[in-house]
Amino acid sequence: MLDQLLIFTRGGLILWELGSALKGSPIDALIRSCLLEERSADAAFHYDAPGAAGGAAYTLKWAFDNDLGLVFVAVYQRIFHLLYVDDLLAAVRREFSRIHDPSRTSYDDFNETFRQLQKEAEARAEEMRKSKQAARVPTVPKKQTNGSGKQRNSGSGGNTSGSGKDESDGDPGKGRWLANGSSNGQGDDSKDNSRAPSGFLKGKENGAPEVGAFDVNKLQKLRSKGGKKTDTGGVGSKATKAEPKKNVKKNRVWDDSPSESRLDFTNPVDERGEEPLKVVEADRGESMMDKEEIVSSESESEEDVDVENGKPCTKKKGWFSSMFQSIAGNAVLEKSDLKPALKALKDRLMTKNVAEEIAEKLCESVAASLEGKKLGSFTRVSSTVQTAMEEALLRILTPKRSIDILRDVHVAKEQGRPYVVVFVGVNGVGKSTNLAKVAYWLLQHEVNVMLAACDTFRSGAVEQLRTHARRLQIPIFEKGYEKDPAIVAKEAIQEAKSNNSDVVLVDTAGRMQDNEPLMRALSKLINLNSPDLVLFVGEALVGNDAVDQLTKFNQKLADLSTISNARLIDGILLTKFDTIDDKVVGAALSMVYVSGAPVMFVGCGQSYTDLKKLNVKSIVKTLLK
Amino acid sequence: MEQLIHRVEEWVHQQPIEQIYVAFAVLLFTISFFGLLHVLRRSKSNTILLAGLSGSGKTVLFYQLRDGSPHLGTVTSMEPNDGTFVLHSELEKKGKLNPVHLIDVPGHSRLRPKLDEFLPHSAGVIFVVDSLDFLPNCQAAAEYLYDMLTKAIIVKRKIPILILCNKADKVTAHSKEFIRKQLEKEVDKLRTSRSAISTADIANDFTLGIPGEGFAFCQCRNKVTVAESSGLTGEVSQVEQFIRELVKP
Repeated sequence: MLDQLLIFTRGGLILWELGSALKGSPIDALIRSCLLEERSADAAFHYDAPGAAGGAAYTLKWAFDNDLGLVFVAVYQRIFHLLYVDDLLAAVRREFSRIHDPSRTSYDDFNETFRQLQKEAEARAEEMRKSKQAARVPTVPKKQTNGSGKQRNSGSGGNTSGSGKDESDGDPGKGRWLANGSSNGQGDDSKDNSRAPSGFLKGKENGAPEVGAFDVNKLQKLRSKGGKKTDTGGVGSKATKAEPKKNVKKNRVWDDSPSESRLDFTNPVDERGEEPLKVVEADRGESMMDKEEIVSSESESEEDVDVENGKPCTKKKGWFSSMFQSIAGNAVLEKSDLKPALKALKDRLMTKNVAEEIAEKLCESVAASLEGKKLGSFTRVSSTVQTAMEEALLRILTPKRSIDILRDVHVAKEQGRPYVVVFVGVNGVGKSTNLAKVAYWLLQHEVNVMLAACDTFRSGAVEQLRTHARRLQIPIFEKGYEKDPAIVAKEAIQEAKSNNSDVVLVDTAGRMQDNEPLMRALSKLINLNSPDLVLFVGEALVGNDAVDQLTKFNQKLADLSTISNARLIDGILLTKFDTIDDKVVGAALSMVYVSGAPVMFVGCGQSYTDLKKLNVKSIVKTLLK
Repeated sequence: MEQLIHRVEEWVHQQPIEQIYVAFAVLLFTISFFGLLHVLRRSKSNTILLAGLSGSGKTVLFYQLRDGSPHLGTVTSMEPNDGTFVLHSELEKKGKLNPVHLIDVPGHSRLRPKLDEFLPHSAGVIFVVDSLDFLPNCQAAAEYLYDMLTKAIIVKRKIPILILCNKADKVTAHSKEFIRKQLEKEVDKLRTSRSAISTADIANDFTLGIPGEGFAFCQCRNKVTVAESSGLTGEVSQVEQFIRELVKP
C-alpha cells in the first residue's frame, strides 16, 4: 500500500528506494517547503501532484538519523490511512543504521530486510486494530457533525471530506493512539489529540497546526484552492467561535453615507499657501535604506553566562560520567538532554516577543534535527543546541526570493506597464506613513512614483496622501471618499500608464483580519488589479497577534480569490521599529515564519529617511542573546 | 632628524660587525620563508566548487565525477557534498595523481550563504546551468551568477568560472551559445539596475564590465568560459578538462 519508501543522504544522494514512480515530485516539495523551512517537527506532509487528470494526492512521513545524516521518507496515497508507517520508519531506521557504510552507495540486500519489516509492521497494525475494535465502545454519531470536520469514524475507512488536511488530523491521532496501546474507549476526538500522551510521534502535534499556527500545507492549499469556498472554520476553533459572532455583527455603513462635502475639509485656498513648505520638506537627505548598517560585534561572554544556567539541569547521568563523555565526545544526544536546553531557548525567544506557537515549533524542529547526533568533543549540549538554532533562524530569515524591488521595477518598465504595490494591514500600523517613505526612497533612485488613494473610508486619509504628494512633488490619483477602492485603483493604474509613471503605490484602509466584508473588499481590489507586490504592513510591537493577522489575511485572500493561483502576501514591511527596545525584535521572526514572505523594509521613525533593510545577522544575534 | 640619523650611524658602527651580519641574515631568512609560504599556500589549493540553481544537476555531476555514475538518483540537497578524490575517469591512468577536492554547494536559496564559507579556499568555480529548463529560470540564474561575479574574493583572486550547460543530452536542451548570450543580456540588465543602488547594496562590491557597452563575459577580470555536459549519461569531458587545468596532476 506504500507507494514508495526512500532513503537518502542529507547531501541529496538516494541510497535505497523501493516502489513505483511517483507523479509530480513530492520529495523535492517536501524538502523545499517543509524540511528547509524548519517544519521538520510536523507529523506529515501533504502533496497534491499537479496534473490535468489523475493528479494524485500523497501523504509523506519522514524520520531522521541525525548521526549518519540520513533521511527516511515514506510516501502513500492520502486516501489510505496507513497506521503502521511511523512504526515502519523507526524500524527501517534502526536496521539501516546498522548496515550503513559511508563508502557504499548501493544497498540491494536491504530489500529482503525491508520486506520482513513491512510484514511485521503490518501484522502489528492489524493486531492493534482488532484488539481496539473488540474493546471499543461504538462511536458516538455526534462526532461526524462537527463543522470543522476533524473527526473520523474509527470503524470505516475514513471520511473523505473536502479538505485533505482533515485526514491528516485523524491519522496522527490514530497513530498516537495505537502506540499507547491503551483503549481510551473515547474514540479519536480532536480534543483527545491534545490530551493523549504523545510518546510516539515525533514532535507534539497537539492540534497545533489547526489552531492558528501556520501549516505550510495550508499555504500550498491556499494557493491551489482558488475560488473554492471551504468552511473557514477549518482554520481553527478560534474561527469557529468567531463565525456566529460575524453573523450578528452589523455591517459597516458603506453606501448610504453622509455626503462627500462633509468629509472633505480641505480649503481650496490652503493649497496655494502650502507651496513654500513643499520646497523645504522634499529633500531630507539620504534614505536610511541606502546607508550601510554598522553591526557591532558583541562579546560572547554574555552567552556563556546564560548557558551556565542551562548546564546544571543536564546532570542526570552523574557528574563525572557526563563530564567525561563531553570531553571524549561520544555522548549521543537524547531528547531528554535536549529538553532543558531547548526550554531555555524557547523562553529566551519568548522574552524577545516571538509568538509562543512559533517558538514551540522552532524548538521542536531543532530537536528533530539534533536527536541521535553524536556530540563533538569538548562541546556542551547547550552550545550545540545554540548553534543549531542560530543556523535555523538564519535560514528562515534569509529571503527566499530577491528583495530587489528596483530590479523588478526596471523589468516592469521594459514591459511598458507600471509596477503596482498594494499596502495592506490592520488599523493604525503606519501604512500611509511608510508608503510615503517608500515613495521617497524610490524617488532618490530616479523612479517616477504615483500615489493612489484607495483608502476611501477614513477621514483625512486622502488629505494625508495629498500632503505627502505635494511634499514629494509627485502625482496623486484620488477620487475622494466613499468610492469603491477597487475601481479607484484600476483607474489609477490606467492613469499611471498614460502619464508614464514607473511605480504606483496603492494605499488601502486598515481592516481587522476578522472583518469579513472588509476582507472581501480587499480581495476584490487585489483580484481586479493583480498588483506586482502585496506588502503586508505590520507593527514590530505586536506579539502573538501577528501570527493570527497574517494567517487570516492569507486565508481570506486565498479563499475569496477568483483565479486559480491566488495572490498571497508577497512581502512584509515592519514598522515602528524604533519604538521597541532592541531586545524585543521577535515579531519579525513570527511574521516571516508564518507567511514565508521576506521582510522587505523596516520603518524606524516618522520622517522620510527612516526606512531601512532588515539586517538578518544582527536580528539573529539579538534574538539569541 | 639629521641628529637622529647621525646617532643611529654611530651606534651601528659601535656594534661588532658579525652581529650585524647575523641579524641581517636572520631577517632576510624570515622574510623569504614567509613569502615562500604565502606563495605556496595560494597555489596549493585544489578545491573546486560546484554551484548553481536548485535542480541544475550539481549532485549528479558530483557523483558522476567521483564514481562514474549517479547511482539511484538524487533529490534536493540539504547539505553540501564534500569529497577529495581522484576523478573516476582517471583511475585507469598510471602514476601518481593529485586528488581533487570537490564541493557541491546546495542551490536552494535558503542555503546560499554556505557558498561564502567555501569560496576563500577555492581554486575554481563551476556554475551549473540547466539547459533544458533554462528560460523560466534565466533571471534567477543570472542573478546568482551576477552575485558571484561581483564578490570581492572572485575578483581579487581572479578565480576562473566555468559556466556549464548541463543536461545537454536532451533533445530540447538549448545550445551553449544561446545560453551564453542570454546570460550576458540578463547580467547586463542587472548591471544597470544594481549600479543604481551601488551605494546601498553591500553585497555587490565591484561593478562589472565596461560601462556604456553591453556586457560580455570576456570583459571580466577572471576567466569565464562556457561548456556543455550531461551528468546522467556521463559526458563530462569538458568539466574534467577544466578541473585538470586548475589542479595540476
